[in-house]
Amino acid sequence: MDSNIRKLIDELLNRAEKEGFLESEVYYESDSSMTIAAREGQIIQFESSDSCGLSFRGLLNGQMGYAYTEDLQKDMIPFLLSQAKDNCGVLEVKEKITVYEGEKEYPEFNGYNDDLAKIDYDFLSKTALELEKGLLAYDKRIEAVDDCYTSYSEGELYIKNSKGMLCESRENCFDIYLGCRAKDGDDVQTAGKGWVFSDLSDFDAKKCTDYVGKKIISKLGAKPVPSEKTYVVLDRFAANSLLASFAGAFSADAIQKGLSRLVGKLGEKIADEKITLIDEGMIEGSQLSIPFDSEGVSSKRTVLIDKGVFKSELHNRKTALAAGVETTGNGFRGGAKSSIGVSSTNLHFENGEYTQQQLIEKAGNGIFITALHGLHAGINGISGEFSLMTEGFVIRDGKLAEPVNQITIADNFYDVLMKVEALGNDVEYLSPEATHTQSPSLLIPNVSIAGE
Amino acid sequence: MLSKTSIERILTAALSHGGDFSEVYIERSKVSSVSLLNGVVESTGSSLDLGIGIRILEGDKCVYVYSNDLLHEDKLIRMAKNASASLADAPAGKTIVLSPMMEYFSQKYETSPTDVSKSLKVEKLRKAAETAKAYSELITQTGTSTADLERDVWIANSDGLYIKDNRCRTRIMVQAVASSEDDKQTGYYAPGSGEGYEFFERTDIDEIATKAAQVAVTMISAKPCPSGKMPVVIGNGFGGVIFHEACGHSLEATAVGIKASCFTDMKGQRIASPLVTAYDDAKIAKEWGSYEVDDEGTPSTTNLLIKDGILNSYLVDKIGSRRMNEPSTGCARRQNYAFAPTSRMSNTFIAAGSSTPEEIIADTEYGIYAANMGGGSVDTTTGEFNFAVNEAYIIRNGKVCEPVKGATLIGKGGEVLMNIDRVGNDLKLSQGMCGSISGNVAVDVGQPTIRVSEITVGGQA
Repeated sequence: MDSNIRKLIDELLNRAEKEGFLESEVYYESDSSMTIAAREGQIIQFESSDSCGLSFRGLLNGQMGYAYTEDLQKDMIPFLLSQAKDNCGVLEVKEKITVYEGEKEYPEFNGYNDDLAKIDYDFLSKTALELEKGLLAYDKRIEAVDDCYTSYSEGELYIKNSKGMLCESRENCFDIYLGCRAKDGDDVQTAGKGWVFSDLSDFDAKKCTDYVGKKIISKLGAKPVPSEKTYVVLDRFAANSLLASFAGAFSADAIQKGLSRLVGKLGEKIADEKITLIDEGMIEGSQLSIPFDSEGVSSKRTVLIDKGVFKSELHNRKTALAAGVETTGNGFRGGAKSSIGVSSTNLHFENGEYTQQQLIEKAGNGIFITALHGLHAGINGISGEFSLMTEGFVIRDGKLAEPVNQITIADNFYDVLMKVEALGNDVEYLSPEATHTQSPSLLIPNVSIAGE
Repeated sequence: MLSKTSIERILTAALSHGGDFSEVYIERSKVSSVSLLNGVVESTGSSLDLGIGIRILEGDKCVYVYSNDLLHEDKLIRMAKNASASLADAPAGKTIVLSPMMEYFSQKYETSPTDVSKSLKVEKLRKAAETAKAYSELITQTGTSTADLERDVWIANSDGLYIKDNRCRTRIMVQAVASSEDDKQTGYYAPGSGEGYEFFERTDIDEIATKAAQVAVTMISAKPCPSGKMPVVIGNGFGGVIFHEACGHSLEATAVGIKASCFTDMKGQRIASPLVTAYDDAKIAKEWGSYEVDDEGTPSTTNLLIKDGILNSYLVDKIGSRRMNEPSTGCARRQNYAFAPTSRMSNTFIAAGSSTPEEIIADTEYGIYAANMGGGSVDTTTGEFNFAVNEAYIIRNGKVCEPVKGATLIGKGGEVLMNIDRVGNDLKLSQGMCGSISGNVAVDVGQPTIRVSEITVGGQA
């Protein structure tokens, strides 16, 4: 990190103390990235960036005021202090929480891979061209690869406060996105997928193009099915996105504000006993590990649902104090611009005992769902209701049959937790397809499908 | 701020190795926000964003680099040269000289919203929270907030264009949550304007709070929505999100320019029912989605997209213009300096027809009345779209009957536009944020009350 910025941050913390802030903290983030897009055998887009942001928060007259800047000149100091002061003046509830003094020790984790850092323009463009060519060659019905991106990015995080806490981290990754369209007669379909690699040896261009190629060709000929209530199997990607959409309900912040249906449900059975839901920051061997939260608290392992019983909420230091419990180390900012809220780290259902194939066999007849669309609009994060456009395949006699699209799936997340019949065993944190939130494939009975 | 000569040096450096066009976009934004939960100030924020984006085009190839270090001109010149090197074909080798700066005012405010003390805003937001709470015992939570933005942008390019634009937007958000034993439903309204603090001052936030509470209370007693294909009457204002998703995005050069849109090469052809005339109009005074000049420095236009069902025009930006061989329609937009601009919507709406909303309902034997819409999304290639309905009722024998909850509408753009069989005379615009490859931008959606003869409704019943 730039030593001038370290100096500037120290000066800001000093000035804050002189101006009457009892406590203060700086949260600094910087990112740089390089992205290439290829189309029709040419590099048609190249983007590169270098950006940073600095957030200050300070305790004055019992209030914590925040201010943010991207203009890192010396005169940012008076701007931040005066804005933070003004923001303190408007807040009404006395802030009981202070900045954290830090841990003696943090879990060891290095999210920065020196090999990845060697990725340059030539590698990204060569790879993008190779991916486009590979995907077009997969099947002649693939008309165009409209989205073919390769990207390298790295970021730094630096948190320092007046109580002597200092947390630093650095990470980098290589990611690709492939999206294409295929045409067969009048039928046009699209498909896409992204991967994030933290180790170049995990990257295999052919595997990626084969995956997307297979996916789009299997969608050709998709059409709606009649409306019905039926068995569905959500594959793990669809199930992940559903869990991620409702993860906020487990936040003590939402629960304390009455913005979750889980208010007053601690200790109660809220799911089938096959369900265990865990949030864990550090996962052995996984680049998705998160060693500390935005308050400088080291991350923990929290069992949210234990065999169907709601055992714990996710807390930051403020919600923990209000509830009279210890923080679970989930005090995160959405970015340097936002204040500290509550977010999950690596949230996942514990694996069940079945393969995806076995779930399909158990369903017998129904719909196999591969994606949920419109999650930003079609869910009610509080009541748990969802009604979403979806796609997948018909399940007939325990086997996958013809593709389906232009249908919706509607149910309630909390009812799904209760009625889920079986869980797959496909949660996997050590693969390049891993995401922070994960669910195994799920077999769910009696779900509303709307179509013809 | 960088001087004019600094910008000229950067534009020149950007063409030093290759590229036929270079452009600089500089932005300085002040954002201020305050939000209340249950009438108590929950959070306040102030931020200052500053950054520069440099774009180089060669044909329809694009290089974009950005940074928020405006202090070191040498670094920016190096960045521009490196960017140019990735196009290393035929250096234009010209020295860029800019015209005198022309100043635009996309929005003008009477009172700077970010300078007004937040305590002035808090009082009114608190009162609105009380109003929503007092509406019914079922209202258990309220959220009231406001956010405003003042932005100065400078755009310069290798054609000599050099402009400054002054922008400003203000928005008010009200959310009410109604609770029953095992359910929670929300009502939400968020009006916005291309004005300053005066918009906040003159808006009757109490009235909005009452409307939000009303929706939440109505929906808490609602039964699950039926599913299947049926007629749907879509209310005016935010109902226009259906046109935005089902058609608007697919008319953007982003998709049309690479022939990936379901409406590619269809100009002059019928793509909608003859009742449909639609505009993208960035020139409506003080509207949330309006601007005088776009993010490439092209003056904004009133763009007639569809006339009596016939496709008349696309939304075209500079790259689109090169790909499609048509002039730009002044629609290049971006969230901020971290995004290269692309073709986007501004205020997009279906024009008023002749039926009254009452006639449309009375003429519908059975179906859904979607009074209030949520957000949605679309695949511009297949035209498949989806969006959520926040407030819905069953229509039976020409009358609006009981409320139903949890409805989603899905379909294909081309089909739904053809199936519009009634267009009302009650055009209204509503404000929203639209997300796409150049980030989130402020847009208006709008329409009069319309009826779609058949669309797939996804509900739990």
